[in-house]
Amino acid sequence: MNPLPAIAAIPEHAARIAVIAFHAFTQLVRMKVFYFLAFFALILIASNFFNLPQHEGPEAAGVDVLRAIKSWSLGAMTLFSVVLSIVSTALLLPKDVEDRTLYTILAKPVPRLDYLAGKLLGVLLLVFVSLAMMDALMTGILHIRTNMVLADQMTFAEARGWPAEEMEALKTDILAQGPTASLQGAVLSVFLRATIIASLALLISTFSTSTLFTTIIAFLIYFIGHFQADARAAFLSQEAGMSDGILAKSVTLVVALVLPDFQLFNVIDAVIEGQVMPLVLLGKLTLIGLFYVVFYIIASWLIFAKKEF
Amino acid sequence: MSVSPPAVEIRHLVKDFKTSFRRQPLRAVDDVSIRIMPGEVYGLIGPNGSGKSTTMKALLGLVAPTSGQCAIFGKDSLKVDSRNEVGFLPENPYFYKHLSGKETLEFYGKLCGIRGSTLKDRVTELLELVDLTDASHRRIGGYSKGMLQRIGLAQALIQRPRLVILDEPTAGVDPIGSREIRDLIFKLREQGITVFLCSHLLEQVQEVCDHVGIIFRGKMVKEGRLEDLIAIEDQTELILKDADPGLIAEIEALIARDAKAELIRSGKPRTTLERLFLRETKRQETQPK
Ligand SMILES: Nc1ncnc2c1ncn2[C@@H]1O[C@H](COP(=O)(O)OP(=O)(O)OP(=O)(O)O)[C@@H](O)[C@H]1O
Ligand SMILES: [Mg+2]
Repeated sequence: MNPLPAIAAIPEHAARIAVIAFHAFTQLVRMKVFYFLAFFALILIASNFFNLPQHEGPEAAGVDVLRAIKSWSLGAMTLFSVVLSIVSTALLLPKDVEDRTLYTILAKPVPRLDYLAGKLLGVLLLVFVSLAMMDALMTGILHIRTNMVLADQMTFAEARGWPAEEMEALKTDILAQGPTASLQGAVLSVFLRATIIASLALLISTFSTSTLFTTIIAFLIYFIGHFQADARAAFLSQEAGMSDGILAKSVTLVVALVLPDFQLFNVIDAVIEGQVMPLVLLGKLTLIGLFYVVFYIIASWLIFAKKEF
Repeated sequence: MSVSPPAVEIRHLVKDFKTSFRRQPLRAVDDVSIRIMPGEVYGLIGPNGSGKSTTMKALLGLVAPTSGQCAIFGKDSLKVDSRNEVGFLPENPYFYKHLSGKETLEFYGKLCGIRGSTLKDRVTELLELVDLTDASHRRIGGYSKGMLQRIGLAQALIQRPRLVILDEPTAGVDPIGSREIRDLIFKLREQGITVFLCSHLLEQVQEVCDHVGIIFRGKMVKEGRLEDLIAIEDQTELILKDADPGLIAEIEALIARDAKAELIRSGKPRTTLERLFLRETKRQETQPK
């Protein structure tokens, strides 16, 4: 006998989860979700022309365009990743229940946790692939455009006879607006945020009765997540005068545990402005993402394990 | 080795469904016990809503019993490993319509941990068995009712389970297809596979099952070996071919002379509509066009 059967079974679970994940991914792909990429390409092309007429001075010319490309791309990525995460997660589970395909799956030796994890992973795979494709498009266009802006500015500066160090500084400034490592970090943050929201949608769909309900609640929590930190702070300061601050603290702690604080992801805006994203911050976001995914999956499992079909 | 455990062991199963807040819960299954030994073909019959599907779902761990236990080959139905050796065909099965028949079987095979060439061979074999080889690359979304039923059957057999649970395997299937499914059940029985099926088509149950249980409003009302249950102990049947009227008159006279025996009925046996249908369709098929 193996003394640790649970550990020995891990590859088996992983294999099964992978099967379900790839299946969910194929299912979503065959629903033709990738058509939205055409939209993204359009947005990207449009963003190229958006800020052109209103450049302030010759130094800023071009840099605005780079910012616009980043801002529009990351905005579209956020929109697509959140919508994809919520809608596809909200769709997959009720569909299996309604079509009664779930019977045939759970009648096979498939633990319910594996099923849930597989579905979630399938959605995340889809979101990841979509983001990777959008990222490649954005990076490519940004790269070309940055080089164009750089060349323009350099000839402009040369014509004016700028000193070498100022030219160098200008070059660094422009490159900071181009496809940097921080930009990739920002895309990764978008993915992490989508991960959290997808697992939240999974949790909701284990007890909701319709796709519509799941979608609405998930979007609601997503928006609440953008100001829950402020609300918590306000609540705490209001309660601070009272003696039993412990209660207030534990209430806010529970809220923070259950509802993710999406303000943490405001770092994406800073990256659009050309700031550097510290690696530590990315690590922190990864940990937070991981925490919520595990937390929501376990909660989903507790509900789903008791479900009858 | 001790005695092998029964393939199916359902003990005092009770299942209540919550209906609404005020009303009393609905008792779908009421103290049902079933024991099926390996190799048996067991038919559960009963009218609509009598709790057949619910009993099967409880056996597969899809619903949790209100009280009582279910086990498959001695393993508790609420545990995942009890489902290693069972194949299930739900009533009105439906599968992912974006997959082809072949992909569907591959998906279920992989869920059971079958991989590589073993899986490929098994899928080919099963597609052949349920006569879907030609349709194997078509999407399930375009399958007819009977094809769905057959792919469902193939899916249930993918990991060579020792127990097969079929919830109305012939519902919505035409007589030819339904005959094929029946033949398949015979084949499973020959291989020593235990079959637990339910239906309200009594004729079919009578043909394939060696044990039956009759369930009514959630209660098991009669159970046992089919032969014991349906034999009319005090009657004997004689069926003759090419008998001329003289012979029949002689036999009738013989019976009349006997003190105890009594002739209840004589005449031409009728073929069933089903047999007629099968014969005629077969004739059309074999005729050159
Ligand atoms: N999920 C459920 N929630 C509430 N009631 C249910 C549920 N499933 C079944 N029932 C009820 O339990 C009873 C038994 O249903 P079941 O499906 O087991 O019947 P059945 O014998 O399979 O009928 P049929 O021949 O029509 O398939 C029915 O009255 C049904 O309404
Ligand atoms: Mg039924």
